[in-house]
Amino acid sequence: MDPSGIFPTSYRSDRRIIRTRWQVLALVLFMALLLLAPYLVSGRIIAILNMMMISAVIAVGLQICTGYAGQINLGQAAFMGVGAYTASILASKTGLTILLTIPLAGLSAALFGFLFGLTAARIKGFYLALTTIAAQFLFHFAVLNLPSTWMGGSNGITVPPAELFGLRFVGETAQFYMNFAVTAIMVAGAFGIVRSRFGRAFVAVRDDDVAAGIMGINVAATKANAFLIGAFYAGVGGALWAYLIRFVGVDQFTLFHSIFFVAMIIVGGMGSIVGALVGVFIIRIIQEIIATVGPNIADSVSFLGGDIVFAGMNVVLGGVIALFMILEPKGLMHRWNIMKSSYRIWPFPY
Amino acid sequence: MTFQTKQGLRGLLAACAIAVAASMPLKAQAETTYNLALLSDFSGPYADIMPVLAGGREAVFTWWNETRGKELGVSLNYKNYETRYDAAQVASLWPGIKSELDPIAVVGLGGPDVAALSERLPEDKIPMFMATASYGFAWKPDSWIFNPRPTYSHESAGFLNWMREQRGGDGPLKVAILASEASPAYVDMAKGLELYAEEHPEEIDLVEVIYTEVQPTDLTGQMRRVVRARAEALVIQTNTSIVVAAKRGLQANGSSIPIMMSSHNGLPASGGALGGLDQLEGDFEAYGMAIAADEDTPARQFYETLVADHELKAPWNVVTAMGVSQGLFVVTVIDHAIEANGAEGLTGEMVREALFAGPITTEETHGFLPSLTFTPDAPFPLEGLKVNVGTVKDGKITIEATGVDVPDVQKW
Repeated sequence: MDPSGIFPTSYRSDRRIIRTRWQVLALVLFMALLLLAPYLVSGRIIAILNMMMISAVIAVGLQICTGYAGQINLGQAAFMGVGAYTASILASKTGLTILLTIPLAGLSAALFGFLFGLTAARIKGFYLALTTIAAQFLFHFAVLNLPSTWMGGSNGITVPPAELFGLRFVGETAQFYMNFAVTAIMVAGAFGIVRSRFGRAFVAVRDDDVAAGIMGINVAATKANAFLIGAFYAGVGGALWAYLIRFVGVDQFTLFHSIFFVAMIIVGGMGSIVGALVGVFIIRIIQEIIATVGPNIADSVSFLGGDIVFAGMNVVLGGVIALFMILEPKGLMHRWNIMKSSYRIWPFPY
Repeated sequence: MTFQTKQGLRGLLAACAIAVAASMPLKAQAETTYNLALLSDFSGPYADIMPVLAGGREAVFTWWNETRGKELGVSLNYKNYETRYDAAQVASLWPGIKSELDPIAVVGLGGPDVAALSERLPEDKIPMFMATASYGFAWKPDSWIFNPRPTYSHESAGFLNWMREQRGGDGPLKVAILASEASPAYVDMAKGLELYAEEHPEEIDLVEVIYTEVQPTDLTGQMRRVVRARAEALVIQTNTSIVVAAKRGLQANGSSIPIMMSSHNGLPASGGALGGLDQLEGDFEAYGMAIAADEDTPARQFYETLVADHELKAPWNVVTAMGVSQGLFVVTVIDHAIEANGAEGLTGEMVREALFAGPITTEETHGFLPSLTFTPDAPFPLEGLKVNVGTVKDGKITIEATGVDVPDVQKW
């Protein structure tokens, strides 16, 4: 709902993502703050922001596939892994720049995701979840059992620093700007996708695929496209991950990681790009607080012992996620939208 | 007159104060403190053993500060960082660790630490010291990550050669490997030994290589294959669950083929899971570190010192031994660096150089580790490698052999 007095007068204005001047101002300020972050905050915070941006790209992809198109996907970490391995192999063996490695990483992951998307045309729900878990294991066993000259096998792959026009992205700050640029493009792209005819088809299939089919939407293609796009995002995120860690191994892309990506979009709110970003922020910030506060508590309350403190912190992490699920199963964006509407129509109840 | 007396007294007191200050030991005037970053996993897969491992390594730092550190005028300050055994967490913690602590060394735990930091430590010029054996995938020159033990494949090859000698005869030892594809590290352990067996058919005849789930419920069928192949030893360096399932499988087949385990899934851990050490009578654990047996060894005596004088509360077992040996590995290298460069201005680079400058003797590590000579060619010593072998006799862990030579294993 728009604020009082703001109403679209044309189709173009109705399609706007940013609808008020205040929203423009807030976005500009947010972007400016992010761009200046390396000069304002410590390296530790920049490292956290790097992780958040990479997770954001992957979670946004999952949001399109699961939140918008309704296709449950527990293999997002495997798709991320395909992208990470593709970027690593291309960078280490061919010396290609990030202008090529990152998109190609996304494309290879998209192809892998598309194969599983085809299965979504015939199955749904619990069965689809199992199939996407199969993607996770297929990826794992393929990496370990294919000749080690192909994907490194159990040795993993060491990745050279990201390079563009002779500029090397080494160190937290340089990587921050690379991640920022890619994340901004991917998030802007996601907003474009979800309000395009593809996005409307995703929502229609999610809400009722039979009705969507009757309306003329190619349901099978839509479901496969949802996986293709979701996996493309995961692949791009995987490439960013490879350049950040500079060593990829198959155990960095497990089912456990996929479940965390699902938790991110649930906490943020299903069916909302901003929700995915909020979910990433919340989950990552809780993880980081726990990792940061834990040692300090263990130091200052030494009689408790580090084991109790750290184990307790993990319980807090699980507990916070569980609380989100119980108190606001539709995610934080749903709660935010209720608050925003209440403010805008106040003093009227509806 | 009174005024003059007071002035004289003041002067005398001041002179005394200066004399007392000058006669105080150097350490009291300036103690140099260096920081160590301890990477820990209290809430991930290592949660159940981390308190014991951490207790062992922290007790060594306390001991060193109170003894050798006092002599040198150096104090080692340390801080634990929770990594949850997650490379992403390590990567995001690292810039903060650098800016907060400016450590001269990192005390690492496992694979995620290696994955996240292997390319960063050379740039930041900070070495990392591990507790475990090394891996084939980490076997690279000019490393900044160091293991006091060779690869798991080195350790198993050393044990199997020893076993063949004990058996006597000229024929190769028939061996089976039980591993899992759940982790690349587990695959790596098997691959190295496979290559060694391939290159030394006169020593090892690899009759079965079985990959199973990481938490198998029943391995009776697989063990039947191992028994039928007449294996003389079964190598399991993965985890406790696989040891338990293999043992039950062997028992179901009426076989007692000896199992060789490593430190992380060794006799106490696997025996505990099986319901008692007596279940593992005649089985072995072998690794390049002191065996935590009941015998009165230098390692045991040092452990008792840590318990009596330096607040170590962990029990005497292989996990504590890992923590203590890691701590001793770190403080010995730092000690060497101080000897070479002085107590002031020590850097991570100097610590790494000190590692290559001379051997770490077994006396310096109180018998916890064999004498170690590092070179820039590998993250672990390539020559003079030894393993110790422990077994269960009459329901107790005993030392079966010490200083067993490790053969030359080629990189895989």
